[in-house]
Amino acid sequence: MSRTPRAWLLAACVFAPSLFGLSSPGYTQGIPQNIPRNETLILENPEGTIKNAGWFNIWAINAGSQSNGLQQVALDTLWYIDPESGIDGVWDNSLASDKPAYNADFTEMTVKLRKGIYWSDGVEFTAADVVGTVDTQIKNPGMRFSAVLANNVASMETPDDYTVVFKLKKPNSRFHTNFTVRWGAIWILPKHIFEKVADPLKFDFNKPVSLGAYVLHSYDPDGKWYIWQLRDDWQRTTLARFGKPGPKYLAYVDPGPPDKRVIAQLNHELDVVHDIAPEGMFTLAKQGKSTISWFKGFPYGHPDPTLPALIFNTQNENFKNKDVRWALALLIDIKSVVMAAYRGAATISAIGVPPTGKHVQAYHEPMEAWLKDFELDTGKQKFKPYDPGVGQQIAAMLRPSLGDQIPKDPKEVEKAFGMGWWKKNPQAAQELLERAGYKKVGGQWHTPDGKPFTIRVMVEGDLRPVMTRAGSMIAQEWKQAGIDAKIDVAQGTLLTRRGAGDFDTFIGWSVETWGGHQDLSYFMDSWHSQFVAEPGKPQPLRNWQRWSNPELDKIIEKTRTIDFDDPKAIELGKDYVKLAVREMPTIPLMAYNVFTAMDQTYWTGYPTAANPYTNPVPNWGNSRYMFVKLKPTGK
Amino acid sequence: MSGYLAYLAKRLGQFVLVVFIGVNLAYVVTHATPIDPVEQSISAATSFGNTAPEAIEQMRQSLKELYGLGGSWSQQYLTFWSRILRADFGPSLSAFPTPVSALIGRALPWTMGLLIVSTVVTWALGNLLGGLAGYYQRNRALKLMGVVAMGLHPIPYYIVALVLLIVFGFVWPVLPINGGSAMNLPQGWTWAYASSVLLHSILPALSLILIGVGSWFLGMRSLVSNIVTEDYVQFAELGGVNRERILGSYVMRNALGPQVTGLAMSLGGIFNGAIITEKVFGYPGVGTLLVDAVYAGDYGLVLGVTTISILGVSIGVLAIDLLYPLLDPRVQVR
Repeated sequence: MSRTPRAWLLAACVFAPSLFGLSSPGYTQGIPQNIPRNETLILENPEGTIKNAGWFNIWAINAGSQSNGLQQVALDTLWYIDPESGIDGVWDNSLASDKPAYNADFTEMTVKLRKGIYWSDGVEFTAADVVGTVDTQIKNPGMRFSAVLANNVASMETPDDYTVVFKLKKPNSRFHTNFTVRWGAIWILPKHIFEKVADPLKFDFNKPVSLGAYVLHSYDPDGKWYIWQLRDDWQRTTLARFGKPGPKYLAYVDPGPPDKRVIAQLNHELDVVHDIAPEGMFTLAKQGKSTISWFKGFPYGHPDPTLPALIFNTQNENFKNKDVRWALALLIDIKSVVMAAYRGAATISAIGVPPTGKHVQAYHEPMEAWLKDFELDTGKQKFKPYDPGVGQQIAAMLRPSLGDQIPKDPKEVEKAFGMGWWKKNPQAAQELLERAGYKKVGGQWHTPDGKPFTIRVMVEGDLRPVMTRAGSMIAQEWKQAGIDAKIDVAQGTLLTRRGAGDFDTFIGWSVETWGGHQDLSYFMDSWHSQFVAEPGKPQPLRNWQRWSNPELDKIIEKTRTIDFDDPKAIELGKDYVKLAVREMPTIPLMAYNVFTAMDQTYWTGYPTAANPYTNPVPNWGNSRYMFVKLKPTGK
Repeated sequence: MSGYLAYLAKRLGQFVLVVFIGVNLAYVVTHATPIDPVEQSISAATSFGNTAPEAIEQMRQSLKELYGLGGSWSQQYLTFWSRILRADFGPSLSAFPTPVSALIGRALPWTMGLLIVSTVVTWALGNLLGGLAGYYQRNRALKLMGVVAMGLHPIPYYIVALVLLIVFGFVWPVLPINGGSAMNLPQGWTWAYASSVLLHSILPALSLILIGVGSWFLGMRSLVSNIVTEDYVQFAELGGVNRERILGSYVMRNALGPQVTGLAMSLGGIFNGAIITEKVFGYPGVGTLLVDAVYAGDYGLVLGVTTISILGVSIGVLAIDLLYPLLDPRVQVR
């Protein structure tokens, strides 16, 4: 060999290891430097990399990150409702010292505030901050809750520093829910900071002043991580009622795509994974000796109080008739959908309420008898479409491959996999379609006006793989039945198209609930016909199906007139469930299972189904309660 | 010289025209997208938490005003050009009110640092080894390199990236697999920070080099293989000129022309970022910024990135066109 190539090869041999020499075997890839690992809890921020990392003004719309720790540990508001059982019950008076007190016609709400709570700069939290939060947003129309507050609040009074009286423009028995955390809420802003700001819409609030138990320690200007430190005066925050938070530091990080989240947790560099694909969860359950999840075994994930469903555009001529909607439901084998979407790790629901939190006791169990007796009349036959054993059947399907991971106790199976669903019944579906004027010609269904019956099932694509797989399976089943069903991958345009009504059907959700509270107004109020947009006009959330029904309007109007905690709300909720079953405006599928994986190498005491004191999903504002229960392992 | 000045003026005119057409095309494409930034903002803001439906329409109007989306198409177009001429892309709609220039300004140094270095290293390594392989055709080690280069070249980039990730991030976890530097390390001109940045760039750079080096290697090897049969090379060898000198001064130098053009094009293209690299390795950069902006309907940001990219490519091509007549006497300006 000539000297020249030899010299270059030699140089390469010397140079390459020297690069690796910059690291050492002890070098860890993703943990914060200069703070003790065993005092730090590392959590995933599912928002990913934050473009304008230095923006902490959460009251501006989408200007910066929300779940980088800001809403979980730095901010606070009047009340919290836990989606699970709660650390001290579901309801928590946080900055408020008591529940909201309304007058008889719900035009006035009085709030008593907790004393002895301080901002991290030493200023006491008082009624002035609550008033400032409302005033600032009303005066600046482009802020996150400007419109909500301007529509509701006529005036406010503060008889003393710890009392606020809201005078409302119109009766609203649920006004307090704006200040009640379910994931997020209207956070209280520091009046003493914002009153000095000329334009609150252009104010970055950096460095943020905290009302929560943690303050900002440092952050990555490139938006990859945020570190929060326990306040020295954490006793002067509302979280202190439950004890001292375990971790001194909280690092909210962007760990990258799902594969890297799995690697990071296996390397003990990511204590709490927000969510991963089912396959990632299975890997962690198998290989991560210290990883735990909500359920001890299969199906692992935490069922969020959100209900993925097949949502019809009921303004589309093909889906105006409930017979068609029911026929399409009867062409679905939910077991195939569950296997395709979640590899079986799903909690099914036949009714329009998520099978999680308080809802199973409030709705699913009491409605079971009604569902079993529910009859559908196709004109040619009457039959009972509900199969109460589907959850058990899914468990039985999985038992041969997963063995002991599948619970045996039928009650545990119900909790994990759900109760019943609709039996696949192609014959009944055919009869319903024929009654609606549809005809099957040469094995293909045609609409009453003679055109091929085509359905686009809009899905989000690889941005939401689980839902995409569910949609693909449903389209396949419809196609097998002779309907020209196609998957319509919307990717980033889904939100725009959903609002514009530019879809036939889509996989998504229009039902979200408190989880820990039986009141369904969280989503149901938005289903009132007064909010249904005309075809072609943008639809406000959440009635994406654009369905209206006079009976539903009455249920909603009655709900508006009763107190939030009134037991009558459950009865009204059941009326909604029955109506939604009869009308089938959406085909409910299953809970949104979030595969939150928690590593016990450095911390123990995470919430689980066995100890459901809060939701472990780390982007929820409610997840702050987890921090007071976490204990170091001593490693 | 006057001929060159005329050529210069003509090329500058072409440059301005190309940039003008390119930016206009980008403007039309971004404004024709079905994604409405206001709806994206509202949907994103209301996807979590509760917002009364009657408030949504008011929110929509407020955002339209705030984002400056009112006015006719012609007014918006003129505003756009007046901003471009002032190097101001306006506020980002998905990170309002942060200026687009601030977002790009933060991401661009990462992209430039990673891609300039990896592009130049890839180019230098590929050409050097390709040149050697083309000249020392019987050398076994260089033959083996040719096989490796040809083997690596067709492998999809993300496969190579994932393999590196698993090998050096999990099986033998010695290199960082996420971010541009270690967490909680203050940014600044310190050895700790600089070495952390260097360390974090190894895997992304290595993935780009492994995939990129093959094409330069193969190109250079075939160029050199042709040049070694030229009379002047044969004559030099017969004349007893040192082989290293023949390789360096006679062969490689003559083969470099097209490769330099390729390098300039590659360097001009780096302003698009390396989207897959950034995603796989969680590396900061304009690629991710661009993709996120597309999904959010943030056409201010999309236009900002694409305009810089158009300028980058155009300037790269212009520079080569202007330098070529000066570097290579065989290229004449008419």
